[in-house]
Amino acid sequence: MYLEQLHLQNFRNYQDQFVVFGAPKTILVGANAQGKSNLLEAVELLSTLRSHRTSRDRDLVLDGAPTAQITAQLRRDSGSVDLRLALQISGRRTAMVHSEAVKRQLDFLGYLNAVQFSSLDLDLVRGGPGERRTWLDGVLIQLEPLYAHLLQQYQQVLKQRNAFLKRQRSLNNPNLDPAQLVLWNQQLATLGARVIQRRHRMLNRLEPLAQTWHQAISGQTEHLSLEYEPNVRHDLTQPEQLFPEFLAQMQTKAIAEYHQATSLVGPHRDEVNLTINQTPARQYGSQGQQRTLVLALKLAELQLIEEVIGEPPLLLLDDVLAELDLNRQNQLLDAIQDRFQTLITTTHLGAFDAKWLQSAEVFAVESGYLSAVALNPSLG
Amino acid sequence: MSTVYTRPLARLVEQLQKLPGVGPKTAQRLALHILKRPESEVQALAHALLDAKQQVGQCSICFHLAAEPTCEICRAPNRDEATLCVVADSRDVIALEKTREYRGKYHVLGGLISPMDGIGPDQLTLQALIRRASQPAIQEIILAINPSIEGETTTLYIGQLLKPFTRVTRIAFGLPMGGDLEYADEVTLARALEGRRELD
Ligand SMILES: Nc1ncnc2c1ncn2[C@@H]1O[C@H](COP(=O)(O)OP(=O)(O)OP(=O)(O)O)[C@@H](O)[C@H]1O
Ligand SMILES: [Mg+2]
Ligand SMILES: [Zn+2]
Repeated sequence: MYLEQLHLQNFRNYQDQFVVFGAPKTILVGANAQGKSNLLEAVELLSTLRSHRTSRDRDLVLDGAPTAQITAQLRRDSGSVDLRLALQISGRRTAMVHSEAVKRQLDFLGYLNAVQFSSLDLDLVRGGPGERRTWLDGVLIQLEPLYAHLLQQYQQVLKQRNAFLKRQRSLNNPNLDPAQLVLWNQQLATLGARVIQRRHRMLNRLEPLAQTWHQAISGQTEHLSLEYEPNVRHDLTQPEQLFPEFLAQMQTKAIAEYHQATSLVGPHRDEVNLTINQTPARQYGSQGQQRTLVLALKLAELQLIEEVIGEPPLLLLDDVLAELDLNRQNQLLDAIQDRFQTLITTTHLGAFDAKWLQSAEVFAVESGYLSAVALNPSLG
Repeated sequence: MSTVYTRPLARLVEQLQKLPGVGPKTAQRLALHILKRPESEVQALAHALLDAKQQVGQCSICFHLAAEPTCEICRAPNRDEATLCVVADSRDVIALEKTREYRGKYHVLGGLISPMDGIGPDQLTLQALIRRASQPAIQEIILAINPSIEGETTTLYIGQLLKPFTRVTRIAFGLPMGGDLEYADEVTLARALEGRRELD
């Protein structure tokens, strides 16, 4: 797929910026805090309806403006798609496809697919389980838009169940309305089991791809594994046991849940163990090795999305390229060639292998304005 | 605002803006429109507002909106006394009435079970519902509640509560998940009523 045009109105520090993408690679160069990541964030929003930097729409709207608008024209194999997302400081959103408002967020997802890779992604290795769950969910939403709906339903049940447990706790009454608790348990287990199954299925498909990339980049010396560790322990080969097992584990933890007034069982506590040669990647190795791991994960993500949707997704590289050594830059370049439209941000072009500039268009970003930059022929 | 509008106008705009779905621009348009109308018409509007507020209360039987102690539906002689349709609020009664497919009576819960909002079974009109359900004349209770998370819990909760008394069914939703009964078109709702099934 190819993002042809993007129009940002009152979005972050952009007042009114229209961009036409004329090359498979677009490099956004500029000093810190000029709006490079903001532009990538706009693409991320069209892709997932989420931003990894904020959960409040208020942050996304230009200070002083009531609403922001992101409009895009996308070319897919099946034809051209117009996308529009209007954001308000109140949090109300309007999403439109071909100028027609969609009722459910699910109807907006799946048009623009993108894989994000930023320097923050090292947190995938170093950070807590929440980072890995967010990543997992982000990939799944792109592969199966219905998952966004499922996850939202799960989170809603979780909130309701937690509110119920808080109420029991505040009234000092573990026997308050057990009939109601049973129903919240059932809903949590029903939806939770579906979340777990989808996460499991996706990781199974992703792992061999990530392993192949990892071997290619690390030079065959290291063995990567992505091991799904659902909070609801069960025999992963027996999916029909998952639901009863979920209920049973809630039963076991009932007293602890009452005292802590929160849900202790379910996929909101899942973990993905990343290991290299059987050692947890967090403890293993240098920053360079951790970067190799994240790069392998991202390339696997790119490949899996392409396999599933049948078209190459966009790749968004925020700051990260300059941090990769030339060997890894070349691995990445070989993988994407000109097939994956790539948006790259950087503070300086100097750290790039010259090959990156060959099929690239460069824009300078300054205080929310873009201007085209003619490449110095000695670089290109 | 008071620097833009004279005080009485500012007050009107402010009041209108409190209505759901009315933003500052719409409030201003409505206020200016009201000022242009003849005084008699504005009087009629003001009276209609007050009368509605003062005279419309809840039906003592089904908790639907009513100007009398009981609502028109409960008083209607030609409606099926053996069937009750349970809904979350009065908007759903209105939506179902528009289908003209349903000839039984209603019961309005006044909300859905939602611990986050501090609403439990005790905040709903469940005691009255049990009393009605236990009357021998009742043969079927239809649960017509949005298929949201809260709607699902409420449906199952009431199902368990009423099972000992009578036959309980729930309407089938041809609606998208998360869709609201209120916004469904009549055709969808009518079809959903036909396709109701036993609650297990
Ligand atoms: N809602 C908003 N309204 C106005 N300006 C905003 C808003 N949100 C963010 N900004 C501004 O956007 C700038 C940050 O933009 P961005 O994160 O894109 O920087 P960047 O160019 O990627 O910089 P770096 O190289 O440091 O990553 C900051 O100057 C910030 O004040
Ligand atoms: Mg940045
Ligand atoms: Zn009545």
